[in-house]
Amino acid sequence: MKIVKKAQAGTMQSSDLMVFLEPAETLNVTIESTVLKQFGALIRAKVDEVLAKHGVEAGEVRITDRGALDYAIEARLETAIMRATEG
Amino acid sequence: MVTSLLSSDDLTQARALLEATGLQFETPYDDMVGIFEAGRLVAVGARQGRTLKMLAVAPSHQGGTLLDEVVTELVGRGYQEGVDSFFVFTSPALAPNFETLNFHLLAASGKTALLEYGDGLKRYLARFTRLVHPGNNGAIVANCNPFTLGHRYLVEQAAAAVDQLFLFVVREERSLFPFGARMRMVQDGTADLANVTVVDTSWYAISSITFPTYFLKDGDPGGAIQMELDLTLFAQRIAPHFQVKTRFVGSEPLCGTTAAYNEAMHRILPPLGIEVREIERKNADQHPISASRVRDMLLRGELEGIAELVPVSTLDFLLSSEGIKIWDKGGAR
Repeated sequence: MKIVKKAQAGTMQSSDLMVFLEPAETLNVTIESTVLKQFGALIRAKVDEVLAKHGVEAGEVRITDRGALDYAIEARLETAIMRATEG
Repeated sequence: MVTSLLSSDDLTQARALLEATGLQFETPYDDMVGIFEAGRLVAVGARQGRTLKMLAVAPSHQGGTLLDEVVTELVGRGYQEGVDSFFVFTSPALAPNFETLNFHLLAASGKTALLEYGDGLKRYLARFTRLVHPGNNGAIVANCNPFTLGHRYLVEQAAAAVDQLFLFVVREERSLFPFGARMRMVQDGTADLANVTVVDTSWYAISSITFPTYFLKDGDPGGAIQMELDLTLFAQRIAPHFQVKTRFVGSEPLCGTTAAYNEAMHRILPPLGIEVREIERKNADQHPISASRVRDMLLRGELEGIAELVPVSTLDFLLSSEGIKIWDKGGAR
């Protein structure tokens, strides 16, 4: 799917994350997390997996995480993708 | 649930909550939200442009997630309005409350800390990484509204004293000449100087975030705190990235706010490892050349004398159809 407009999902609460999506020429993912040192690689792997699942090949993806579990990451990111791609 | 605060009763409650937590109700703002419990407002927050302010939680409800909910709402709505970077001022003691929300401390000075949500500063600095050559580098931060022979003289003097000179043009749109026009005048006016690199300040130097009263001439006493934050941020976060060891500034005989800013530079930057070199202002007709003098002459239509105050490249722009549209609002020409 193609990111055609700005969209956001999630919250800043503990165990949650905020996802910001914007159209861009290339795919650029930035992740900030209070647990980046411990789980940065796992968060990134999950994000890449969800983006690939939805065929997102370009866009500015910004994530600020406060220790969300992987199904929360998936749910928030999918929600943002739906909002960024719908008509 | 977070809701917009719109009615006069909402605002009365917001004012009371802010005052109960030692804050003030400060207009203007673009958006204000809060959380009610049984009809009573227990959390409030507002956004003005990129700045989040008036954030307060009732003492009886602190320690929970109300602040998170208010900030989430303000950031989410602001993002939809096109704001991509958010700032908050707080006391250094309260900064950790925001750091757990993924805010990052930009600078702290005395009783004030400035934090940014997200990694805007890092992305700003990364834009210029390839332009930086290691060495004894210098910096000038200037509005250039418009670019004059005074600026040109300062740039020449500074460029001769360092390996690479970074000329930071103020990004903020609070001036007669828009940023794009100022940037072009500076680039055209310094193109022949090989070791001068022109960059923009983004929101991180002399902006409505770091130094709002710069744009109100003869600003209020609150300006002093803001200058300290602005300069601390420059010395600790910006200068190291550009390997800048010296900041150059023109002497300021005319404008009170700028003179106070220069004075603050001498006080704040050297202890943080940045040397300050103040260069005597260049004169024309026994009076200092200044951008405000050029603007006054333009607005009065005295075009003849301007050629003595600005480089040819600036004069060409001022007299172009695009330039005339900027200063001749009445359309007399």
